[in-house]
Amino acid sequence: MRLALTGNPNSGKTTMFNALTASSEKIGNWSGVTVDSKEKEIRSSLCSGVEKLVAVDLPGAYSMSSYSSEESITSEYIKNEHPDVLINVVDATNLSRSLFFTTQLLELGIPLVVALNKTDINNMKGTKIDETALAEALGCPVVNTVSTAKQGLAELVETAAGLVGKEQKPAFVQTDTVSAEEADRQRFAFVNDIVEKVESREQLASAKTVSDRIDEVITHPLIGWLVFAVVMFGVFYISQAEGPLGVGKFFEGILTGWIETFQEWLGGRLDGANPFLYAILIDGIVGGVGAVLGFLPLVMVMYFLIALLEDCGYMSRASVVLDPVFKKVGLSGKSVIPMVIGTGCGIPAVMSCRVIPDERERRTTAMLATFMPCGAKLPVIALFAGAFFPDASWVGPLMYFVGIAIILIGALIIKAITGMKSQKSYFIIELPEYKRPSLKFAAGSMLERAKAYIIKAATVILVCNTVVQVMQSFDWELKLIEEGMEHTSILAGIAGPFAYLLVPVVGIASWQLAAAAITGFIAKENVVGTLATVFALTSFIDTEALELMGSGDTVASVMGLTRAAALAYLMFNLFTPPCFAAIGALNAELQSRRWLAAAIGFQLAIGFTVGFFVFQIGTLIATGSVGAGFFGGLIAVASFVAVIIGLIIKNRKA
Amino acid sequence: MSLADAHMGIDYTIKNIESGDANLENFLFTLGCYSGETVTVISRKKRSLIMAVKNSRYNIDLELARAILV
Repeated sequence: MRLALTGNPNSGKTTMFNALTASSEKIGNWSGVTVDSKEKEIRSSLCSGVEKLVAVDLPGAYSMSSYSSEESITSEYIKNEHPDVLINVVDATNLSRSLFFTTQLLELGIPLVVALNKTDINNMKGTKIDETALAEALGCPVVNTVSTAKQGLAELVETAAGLVGKEQKPAFVQTDTVSAEEADRQRFAFVNDIVEKVESREQLASAKTVSDRIDEVITHPLIGWLVFAVVMFGVFYISQAEGPLGVGKFFEGILTGWIETFQEWLGGRLDGANPFLYAILIDGIVGGVGAVLGFLPLVMVMYFLIALLEDCGYMSRASVVLDPVFKKVGLSGKSVIPMVIGTGCGIPAVMSCRVIPDERERRTTAMLATFMPCGAKLPVIALFAGAFFPDASWVGPLMYFVGIAIILIGALIIKAITGMKSQKSYFIIELPEYKRPSLKFAAGSMLERAKAYIIKAATVILVCNTVVQVMQSFDWELKLIEEGMEHTSILAGIAGPFAYLLVPVVGIASWQLAAAAITGFIAKENVVGTLATVFALTSFIDTEALELMGSGDTVASVMGLTRAAALAYLMFNLFTPPCFAAIGALNAELQSRRWLAAAIGFQLAIGFTVGFFVFQIGTLIATGSVGAGFFGGLIAVASFVAVIIGLIIKNRKA
Repeated sequence: MSLADAHMGIDYTIKNIESGDANLENFLFTLGCYSGETVTVISRKKRSLIMAVKNSRYNIDLELARAILV
């Protein structure tokens, strides 16, 4: 038996789904968090009957006709998949808007139960709803619920299960003789009548609330920007920087200490073992995976903070503040949410673009969203910032602001290439009421992501590091190579040609750096793992130890990089195409081979260009002359610029 | 006049919506924003304003505010 959760955006469907099925799907306090349908069995403790019950979570919708593409998923699911019962999650704080959709759902003939959700907020505001009268007017059962507190769920499931196989009569019957618009008006009039009968309010809907007063400050054109900058910087600083507020770094220090102790202990036990085996186990597996795992605390703290941000209702405010700037580059405030989600992971970021109604805007946002450094790129940032810039804790956070800058410039370029839309673009976004973010939810979200991170490190990263270690231990004749002869290895042979392409970015042809960048496409954490493996830096994970060893000088001699080159290499890895999984998501969202090819080409070109300028300008400042590979790089950048100008001219003529 | 010129805190009745975008107007309709309904401006800024329709708050840009006639 399938029970489908339907209702307006941000009415609490996914929170209810999570509570019903003990899952942890993404939730947030804004409209359009869920963009796809999901199914899972309902917890047996909630089902008293013998039959297996499955809950289906659907994206929110305001009506059966759809405005953006995620809404059509809902109406298509209900029409084509024939769920056994509809659970209509109704936001009790906005009854009349919710019931418009309810009356449409009641016409489908599928038995329906209304879950009158957020009743706790109504109690607080003194709004009363007579649910017996409501049930009578709609002709379906009504159950009071608070999905955030898991209240009323057992009753809801029991009521829903009892409806299976029953017939559902519509509450409102549309007259055939009138136009579609007139019919909708009559429907709203019918709904308004019901609301008037069943609802009593103490507080006028248009009266100024505390939420409104907060909004006056937070969405202020100037102060709002400041708030946004401080909030984002705070998230990155607390999770990644050293200092009294650097919670992430504090735990990282403890964890890397443990990992190193373990590595030393294991190394001691394997003393005298086969050197190849020793290298694979100690350098490849423990060193590589450990290097990635060491950064887990940073990732966890960041996910925790982002979960708080998503839960409190700030996301739609950030959209409002940034809308004017994003409009200037041909996007809108709607592109802000994918960008913020992108700091966690690029895949949900790309998927969240579905709520953007305009196709060009949606595609542009999807192809740019991954420029925001994700959680997997965080270890890379932390490694380089910690090893090369220990005295400048702003280098890490700066990478995110560079990401935002690239997104804005990228959007401007795409706007020039695709041309301005003929149609006016309007911006409307619902401002949900603020809510105190749940620490329990944020902790749950953090642990969930931590689990995924550890699993990834223990599977994909572990396999990649083992392969890298094997490939650098053998030459093409499959003979074990001797120490100091690594440049004859299979890995050096494969990565070598790519190393020349990186010369304008790092100043040297280093197959190790090229190999790390390439494995980064499988998963960005691999950049860290591979570097640890290929440089056989057993203490690589401990960036503080490197610092003690003599700061940048030692690191430079180990990796053969100057500070400018290190920063350039870091930025090259951050701003090239994302991992394959994110590219897959991009392919699904863009639905166009041409756009996908353009997106990947663009990302490669941007990564190279940014790296090139950072290295060359940095080297010029440090040494007074440009770095190696300047002319080659300049030609590459110039041809990239020429292609873009060519495309713009082509568009102007068309 | 349009919502862009409306006073804050006063309830207005929507006369018409002229955005030239039927899809958007259908969407506004489902929110309860259509002619005959009540709308209130909660606050206004240089390029946008916050309106209350039914029991929710929406931030809209001035282009859209100009399309909503009250």
